[in-house]
Amino acid sequence: MFKKFSSEDISGQNQVKASVQRRIRQSIAEEYPLLEPLLEDMLPKKSPMIVVKCQNHLNLVVVNNVPLFFNIRDGPYMPTLRLLHQYPNIMKKFQVDRGAIKFVLSGANIMCPGLTSPGGVLDNEVEEETPVAIMAEGKQHALAIGFTKMSAKDISTINKGIGVDNMHYLNDGLWKMERLE
Amino acid sequence: MAAEKPAPAKVLYCGVCGLPAEYCEFGPDFERCKPWLRAHAPGVYPDELVASSSGGDDKDVGKVGERLQGVSISTADGSTSAGGASASSKTEEVKRLPGGKLKKKDKQEVIIEKIVRNKRKCVTVVKGLDLFGVKLSDASKKLGKKFATGASVVKGPTEKEQIDVQGDISYDVVDFITATWPDVPESAVYFIEDGRKVAAA
Repeated sequence: MFKKFSSEDISGQNQVKASVQRRIRQSIAEEYPLLEPLLEDMLPKKSPMIVVKCQNHLNLVVVNNVPLFFNIRDGPYMPTLRLLHQYPNIMKKFQVDRGAIKFVLSGANIMCPGLTSPGGVLDNEVEEETPVAIMAEGKQHALAIGFTKMSAKDISTINKGIGVDNMHYLNDGLWKMERLE
Repeated sequence: MAAEKPAPAKVLYCGVCGLPAEYCEFGPDFERCKPWLRAHAPGVYPDELVASSSGGDDKDVGKVGERLQGVSISTADGSTSAGGASASSKTEEVKRLPGGKLKKKDKQEVIIEKIVRNKRKCVTVVKGLDLFGVKLSDASKKLGKKFATGASVVKGPTEKEQIDVQGDISYDVVDFITATWPDVPESAVYFIEDGRKVAAA
C-alpha cells in the first residue's frame, strides 16, 4: 500500500482538535491495550497531534513530525514499523518462512503457505480483519504490518491464497518517511 | 521515559540502507552495507560472510542461508533470556493495571449543561439519559415537543450520545425529566455551572 508513497501523496494535513485527539487515543488504546501506559509519552496531550490525509482514504497520525500510526477509512489504527520495533509486543505476531521474506519486502501480500510451512508461526487467536505484525524466520524484528484476510484457523485449513494483506513493510514509502514536515 | 513503563527496544538500523541490520541481506544493496556492518554490527552476520566482498553466486547464497540459520538459532537463545526479563516486568504491569487504571463505571446521573452560542442564544445539553434506559431519540422528540424547540441527538465527546435542545430550558427541564421518566430521581440530576457540578435538587 505504501509501495509508492511520498510527500506528494499528501492531500491535506491539519492539527486535530482535542476531542478528535481523544477519540484517536481511545481507539488506539482499545486496539493495543499493552500500549496504554505508554500513550501519554507517545501522544502527549500538550503537543499538537496532526492528522495527515493522503490519497486512498489513508490517514497518518503524526506527533512532533514523526508518523506514529496510520489507518484506512475508518479501520483500526496501526503502528508504523519504527514504532513497532520499539515496542514489539503490542501486536499479535505471525511469522513467515525465510523464502517469503524477499517477496514481502517488495510489497507482496502474505500467502497462506508461507505462514503454515515449518518456518512460519501462526497465532491461533487471531481473527480475520485484524492488524498483525509479520515477523520472519530467524529474525528478531518485524518486517511488515499486515491486515488479516482470514482468521488464523482458516489460514491453516485452507492454506491457499492471500492470508494477510501487506499494509506496510520495511523500506516502503512510509518507512522512508522518517520525519514529516 | 518513566522507569515503570516498558522501555522502547533499541533497534540497530543500518547506516547505509536504513533497514534493521538483520534485514540488510534483503536490502537494496547488501554489498555496500557490508563495510558498515563489519564496523557497527559484529555478530549479526557470520564474519566470513560480511568479509567476502564478492560472492553473488546462487551457491553462495544457499550456503549463506544455512549459516544464517545457524546464527539465528544462537541469537534466538539470547533473545529468550531477554524475553524472560520482559515477562517478569509484564506481570508487574498487569498487577499495576487493575489497581490504578480500572475503568470507572459510569455513574447513573443526568447532567445538564447550558452552552451560550451567541450573546442571547444558547443550547441546553442533556447528557446521561441513556444510562437510565431511556431511548434518546424518543426523549429528544418529547423534549422538543414540550419546549417547542429543536432537539436532536448528537454524538458528544468520546462517542457518547447526548441531546441538544435549542434555547435555555435549564430550569424547567428538571421537572420535566423527573415527571416523564419516573426512573430518574431528582437527586441524580446535576447542572454544570461555571465548570462545576451542582445538584439540581
